[in-house]
Amino acid sequence: MQNEKDTFYMMLQSRLAALNPARTIVVRGVVRPGTLVDENELPSAWVPVDVFRLQWTGLQVNNTGPLPLVAMECSIQYATDGSSGNGGMDRGRLLAAMDAELAAALGAEPHAVGKMNFSAAGAGVAATPMGTNVFWADPVFGGAKAVDERLERTTTVQVFAYQEAGEL
Amino acid sequence: MSTTTTGGGVEASVAPVTRRVRAYFAPVNRSAGVPTLFDAAQLGRFDLHAPPAPWVDLGWVSGFTRKCGTKVDALRAGAPAMAVGQVRTEVEATVLLAFETWGKLQVTLASGSQQTNLLTTAAGAAPNASGGVAAAPVPLLTGTGPASTATSLNVGAAATGFSVGSLVAVDVDYTGQLGYVGTGVSSAYVQSASAVGGDINYVRRVTLNVGVVVAITAGVLELASPLPAGVPTAGMQVSQLVGFCDREGASFFQEWSGLFVMPGAQGDRVLVHYPRLQAMQGSTETEEALAAPLERIRLTGAFRALPVKDANDGETVLCFRSYLPAVLPGV
Repeated sequence: MQNEKDTFYMMLQSRLAALNPARTIVVRGVVRPGTLVDENELPSAWVPVDVFRLQWTGLQVNNTGPLPLVAMECSIQYATDGSSGNGGMDRGRLLAAMDAELAAALGAEPHAVGKMNFSAAGAGVAATPMGTNVFWADPVFGGAKAVDERLERTTTVQVFAYQEAGEL
Repeated sequence: MSTTTTGGGVEASVAPVTRRVRAYFAPVNRSAGVPTLFDAAQLGRFDLHAPPAPWVDLGWVSGFTRKCGTKVDALRAGAPAMAVGQVRTEVEATVLLAFETWGKLQVTLASGSQQTNLLTTAAGAAPNASGGVAAAPVPLLTGTGPASTATSLNVGAAATGFSVGSLVAVDVDYTGQLGYVGTGVSSAYVQSASAVGGDINYVRRVTLNVGVVVAITAGVLELASPLPAGVPTAGMQVSQLVGFCDREGASFFQEWSGLFVMPGAQGDRVLVHYPRLQAMQGSTETEEALAAPLERIRLTGAFRALPVKDANDGETVLCFRSYLPAVLPGV
């Protein structure tokens, strides 16, 4: 299941970075594309804005087929305070831009990507291709919430993959 | 773990998971009664956005439903009668779908009958529900300027009468032809010249060989996409149109070869091919509620499959379902 999560994250990060390379975040002193997985970062009460934060919030396993079909719910949270140069009055526009980027990234074809094993990946070591695809349904956009000067939204998407031999 | 093996030794893969169905059209040669056959063995993994000729992309469809109307009865013998065999007493297959897009082909197929291009009328033409007497057509120039192609029409000085966004029908004049008419795709059946009033524009009135002008350069109309019938032939002329019209109750049955592809998430693919489809209902549409009072109008079609002979064994059949397993090692 970790390979499914990692593969989906890397797919989404690369697609979003291609759509808007300027959306970045500094994490522990390193500039990264503006998409991260909460559970992979240091716990913090700080909520980064103008980036996409992934949380894995649901899990179902269907064992009726020749391979277990794993369905995971990914919640994608994003928020913006607007830009200081505009006194935050552009926060609606910035949230709309993030909505559009996320819709484009998840709506683009193909709607499947080869599953990769990142467990041994690192500097100079590439991830290992696996034998099945990870695929996903259409995103469901939640309502925009205004919290003080901040606008935020949570979008969920169901991500599917088959559990391969050796993953159990 | 990657596959299981059934008792018959056939590898069983995971069930295909697809999110939608893509539809493709190809013409049936009505005069010769020859459909376009799709060979999944040769072309089954084609790029969904670039179907092999002569297949034309109809876009995604929803509500795709195949129905089998075949009846199987028991052959009984003895007392008391017991089933000793089976026989197919009727063979029928139908397809229901809703097109996601509106276009000349989609509207025509969904209408089930001939579809009329609403040709720009001549000045003072008497009102007619499927379009009044059409304005004079514009000839394609030969020997002057570039030759016309499937995507560019050389009309010379007459180009001033067109504008970007103009719809055009390109086909031959009606000169008394009987039977199926329409270049590329049989669009209507003419029983007599008098039935169509000897209208020189009649073939252009029904043809599916239509296009949209996206640019006009030095007397040449550039089209958004190639004409379905390809490079215009000698004698073809151009008529402008404003839209399309179909009727309930006309006598002509549109027939087409249909291909429906369900792409699987693992790279597997299910293809359903009906060499001959005819509409089994008149033009209809359904309303999809967006948010009150907005509704999206969807073109719906219901088609009945007609038979062909499979050259491999001479069997008479209605449709072919092909399954291409995933090429991924894990499934």
